[in-house]
Amino acid sequence: MSLLGADYRRDMGVHSYPFLVYGLTPLAALVLQAWLPRLVRGFTWFDLPLVVTVYFALARRNPIQGTLMGAGMGLFEDALTGHAIGVNGIAKTVAGFLAGSVGVRIDVENHTFRMMVTFVLSLLSSVIYFSIYRILLGLNLEWSWLAELVKAVANSLIAMVLFPLLDRTRVRD
Amino acid sequence: MESFFVRYRNLLVLLAILLAQIIGLAMQVRRTDSGRNSLDPQDAPGVRLLRLWADTVVTPPEKAFHASRLGTVSLWQNYIDLRHIREQNQDLQRTIDRLRLEQASLLEDAKQGERLQALMDFQQKYIYKTQAAQAIGTSGSDSSRVFYIDKGADNKLERDMAVITPDGIVGKVREVFPHSAQVLAINDQTSGAGVILETTRIRGILRGNAAGRPQIVDILKDDRIQPGEKVLTAGGDLIFPRGLPVGVVEKVVPDPDRDSFIDVIVKPAAHLERLDEVLVITSTEPRFPAEEQQDMATSEMLKGAQAAAIAEANKEQKKASEVMAERLPGLTDPNAPVQPPAANPAAGTAPGKAQPGQSATPVTAAPPPVPKLLHPQHPDRFTVGTGSPQSGETSAPAGQEKKPAPKSGLKPESKPESKSGQKANPPPAHAGGKTRP
Repeated sequence: MSLLGADYRRDMGVHSYPFLVYGLTPLAALVLQAWLPRLVRGFTWFDLPLVVTVYFALARRNPIQGTLMGAGMGLFEDALTGHAIGVNGIAKTVAGFLAGSVGVRIDVENHTFRMMVTFVLSLLSSVIYFSIYRILLGLNLEWSWLAELVKAVANSLIAMVLFPLLDRTRVRD
Repeated sequence: MESFFVRYRNLLVLLAILLAQIIGLAMQVRRTDSGRNSLDPQDAPGVRLLRLWADTVVTPPEKAFHASRLGTVSLWQNYIDLRHIREQNQDLQRTIDRLRLEQASLLEDAKQGERLQALMDFQQKYIYKTQAAQAIGTSGSDSSRVFYIDKGADNKLERDMAVITPDGIVGKVREVFPHSAQVLAINDQTSGAGVILETTRIRGILRGNAAGRPQIVDILKDDRIQPGEKVLTAGGDLIFPRGLPVGVVEKVVPDPDRDSFIDVIVKPAAHLERLDEVLVITSTEPRFPAEEQQDMATSEMLKGAQAAAIAEANKEQKKASEVMAERLPGLTDPNAPVQPPAANPAAGTAPGKAQPGQSATPVTAAPPPVPKLLHPQHPDRFTVGTGSPQSGETSAPAGQEKKPAPKSGLKPESKPESKSGQKANPPPAHAGGKTRP
């Protein structure tokens, strides 16, 4: 973060966030993702950690930061499940890297574009998860592609609500 | 060289992180004897440490959220929503009275079952001690049906303990942390519980499918399995005690991978999506727990006489019905084969041979049927023409079991009854053949 000068960030549209927002938002996403399904039955359709990863990777325009955040979030999610640790980690690592790489090249202020990126990365994340489980690990896991499609739409919708809220917490140069 | 690392820095970081995770994954999977891969049932120390960290981060806020929610709910329930509580109390008291009656009437059966199990050297495990716990969180993913409870190693919880609700089984403890524990629900794809269908006695393994519905797998096609049949725990998995309710059969679908197999979708008895309080079975013993024994003693004392009176009345009523059925003309078909009474071990030795139309090849060297030796199946003092009990049956009063015949089957009194009934169809002495106009 500190490597980039203010002029460079302004030119590139790299956004900064208060440390608390940058640190607590992912944590809040993980806790809410684990707790809310108890209250809201269909909340597992959403993937808050993925949406937050995509948001910060796009806004920071840094593939390494996106990679690290995706890996951290994915591993944390894996640790809460009864499954192997690393499956979600790899899926979200790739999603974070791609979001950061896209952010470098394309204007990411457009809400529709960010929703589309979230939709595509959500689907890609599901594909990677399934591939690792079935092909790389050779484990049996039933899958419903329709459910994953609905999940991707749900993540896009929640991104539509969450991204403008997080935009308000940006540090103005 | 330096420019290479700078130029491809992003990609190298990505590859390094991916490689590290793939190696980590490879260490968690092992190949079984059957040649298939499976996850280690016991987490490696490193994996367990990661799970512990995640639990340490997530559990405190979850407990705080849960406590605040419970506080609000209890405030409402304990102080505001107390209407009709007196009526509910009376209803509950009536339910307790009714259950005491039922318990007292079932007590003798339970004791007899215990004695028989002791004779057969089989020990039924009873739930001896449970630990109540609150469900506080989930995995957050619909591909992993695990949830967290607010009791852990501090409360002497251990891996593989069964988790239930009064409605039915829920899952088993998968991982234990100091102040919390991870429970693998029965609708997870990696779970497994031994179950048995109540009526058909077909056994199988219960596990979840992709949609989070529990299903019994590895069952051969069987038309007897119908929706609505109850599913119970089989007790063979050494986790769930035998006979706990699991759910009911919802539907039967063909196994997508194997032609001759089916999957039995089960509607779980416990509300797996709405779990608040669960019970962890921390101890099972081959005897009733002290509280249960005390309850039974109370039932016997308070309601035992009443229950006995009701049972006696039921027995008398049944006996009278049987007598009426025997005497009434037209209620029984004189041409129908004589069915051996199920409770009679002597007649029950060859149930399959009593089917009409089948080969009448005798298995044992029984003498030919002698019609005059036919006796009423339930001779008692009400039977027409039998003023006194038959010789040899004096020790078996009406309605009770007769002594079993010798195994050789040479006794003419036991065998010819069914055989004569199927070969020549003579009018049974006790049925309409005697009184039919």
